[in-house]
Amino acid sequence: MLSDTWYLFHKYLIISLRMPLWSLFALIQPLIWLFIFGALFKNFAQLPGFPADSYIDYFLPGVLIMTVLFGSSWAGVSLLREISAGTVDKMLVSPASRAAIVLSRVLHAAVQVVVQSFIVLVAAWVMGANTSWNPLHIALAMSIILLLGIAFASLSNGLAIMLQREEPLVVMGNIMTLPLMFFSTAMVPAQFMPGWIHSIAVVNPIEYAVSAVRAILIGETDMGAFGLGFGIMLAFAIATLAWAISAFKALRD
Amino acid sequence: MIQISGLTKRYDAHTTAVDHLDLEVESGEIFALLGPNGAGKSTTIRILTTLSGFEEGKVVVAGHDVDREPDAVRRAIGYVAQETGVDYFLTGRENLTLQGHLYRMKTAQIKQRIEELAQYFELGDSLDKTVAEYSGGMRRKLDIATALIHHPQVLFLDEPTLGLDTQSRRSLWQYIRKINDELGLTILLTTHYLEEADKLANRVGIINQGQIKVVDTPDALKKSLGGDVVSLEFEYEASENESLSWKLSNSDFIKDTTWEGNKLHLYVTNGAQAIPKIMQMATQEGAKIANISFSRPTLDDVFIKYTGSSLSGDNEEGGEQWWEKWAGKGGSNSKWAKKWQQAQAENDGEQPQTWRQWSGQAEDKPQDEENSQQEQQDGAQQDDPQQTWQQWQKDDKPQSPAGDATSEGVKPRQWPASGQQGNWPRDKGWSGNKD
Repeated sequence: MLSDTWYLFHKYLIISLRMPLWSLFALIQPLIWLFIFGALFKNFAQLPGFPADSYIDYFLPGVLIMTVLFGSSWAGVSLLREISAGTVDKMLVSPASRAAIVLSRVLHAAVQVVVQSFIVLVAAWVMGANTSWNPLHIALAMSIILLLGIAFASLSNGLAIMLQREEPLVVMGNIMTLPLMFFSTAMVPAQFMPGWIHSIAVVNPIEYAVSAVRAILIGETDMGAFGLGFGIMLAFAIATLAWAISAFKALRD
Repeated sequence: MIQISGLTKRYDAHTTAVDHLDLEVESGEIFALLGPNGAGKSTTIRILTTLSGFEEGKVVVAGHDVDREPDAVRRAIGYVAQETGVDYFLTGRENLTLQGHLYRMKTAQIKQRIEELAQYFELGDSLDKTVAEYSGGMRRKLDIATALIHHPQVLFLDEPTLGLDTQSRRSLWQYIRKINDELGLTILLTTHYLEEADKLANRVGIINQGQIKVVDTPDALKKSLGGDVVSLEFEYEASENESLSWKLSNSDFIKDTTWEGNKLHLYVTNGAQAIPKIMQMATQEGAKIANISFSRPTLDDVFIKYTGSSLSGDNEEGGEQWWEKWAGKGGSNSKWAKKWQQAQAENDGEQPQTWRQWSGQAEDKPQDEENSQQEQQDGAQQDDPQQTWQQWQKDDKPQSPAGDATSEGVKPRQWPASGQQGNWPRDKGWSGNKD
């Protein structure tokens, strides 16, 4: 299974390296949000009790997680394309591990969002964000991003198999990402939220990803908050991946 | 090599794709499953290649049960789907290498095998170009090469020449034949091109509505009809012509009859002698005949006899597309899903014409010069059946066997061809043409 995963992962890597522009395309949206939200909410930082020195410092972890969501929620679309192109059948008639077929796709999507997030991180730093450049901190933040990428790419692949069509998948992608962003502290600190939104945020996995990245990159390092986020992300990634693999195995019509 | 018994596959309570199908494919033969779209060809192949499950029956491929030992079956077979299974953004070599790795081959082994296959299929310089730059025929060759990388014993080809131009189609036939001759591979292919089954296959299985209707060599199938086929096209539906039909089928010079929509196919020993008798009976009964033609039996006639509908009216692009397979499960409100269901429903009926209406165009394209020449003559003669009938009577003289008629420059025997009928070359010399 691992060697199958590697060869298939390698294939997807070649394909995205052959079309680097397509990967960069996914960066446009997070960068625009970074720019607009950074400007729009700039004065938030002057409110009493705001937990960061500037709004962009506060928003940076949020925009990194946004990059992950926008980047990995479409992973299922390319699965549908591959199914219709016949390449999935080609893999399925070979003795290749079925789990490897899903795993390689999901890993590829996750690695892609790690690279994208890193570019966004550098862009935010250029725009004046005060982020930690301690390599350990960066690596830990990226581990959260990788796990969240795996989770959302799995969800998207699993949904693709369930829905079998592109349009509803795109709608589901939108439904999954945007509200989850707003029901978290990605943009607005918890104390400024209405109570009911805050109580939704508590059960929102995105919230834990945002908090974990914030705990490690911005201001005082908080290993406790990071550890909680990491644990939740790990469980989330494993559960969604297992679901996507089982959905794929049941694909045989 | 392949044993299928009692195979049944249902998509839901109302759709039985394969219905108690029995089939045996011998080692080393090219076997063609011939049938219209929705007949169950692709479903059968998908089951044989472990891509689909099934409800009842037993399927053994290369000595392994597909249900119990799918991985052993997978290692023994190669599969070329209707859709190109090769990755457009990878080079030919990368595609082959990946496939080799998926079959757990060693890197050195793969390298050697790629050289062999590249030479065999004359891939040459294209090997290191991305597949996006390939022509359709080239892509199909690469697709077959990837299916052969692991030295399989059986090769499955699902509509191998669908969507290819005539030249690429013929070239691909040569490769398929070569693989079978030189490598001794058993090949099971599906097709809805009669010519493909006729020229390529050792044996043909005619499949319709999920059942095998008959299995034999193409020649034996055609001979079983014997003599000529006279086709009458009426102006009205079958019910208007019941008495004529009854009279004809009870005449001793007519061996068999089959209705296909408003056409009646009569199997006779000698067409030239039978036509005046048939016309006489038709006149007595007052039947309005729009068109009459006769020819040596082709596989299409065999097909009509066993299924009651013609294959040649089939749509060129109408193979089971990806959406047919997926639309059934996905949003049933989609445009494609509706078209699919509609097409499925129509395939269940006996009217190939409705399929044509659906597809918006009917004409099959594989035509040679001789065929189109024939068409022109036919067109000129066809306007007024009564008049052409008289003309025909004037030059009523014995004809040489059909196969040689056109090639020797003699007036084609098919007369007057019905334009509405599918334009599969009816009289193209099936006897002498098998190269």
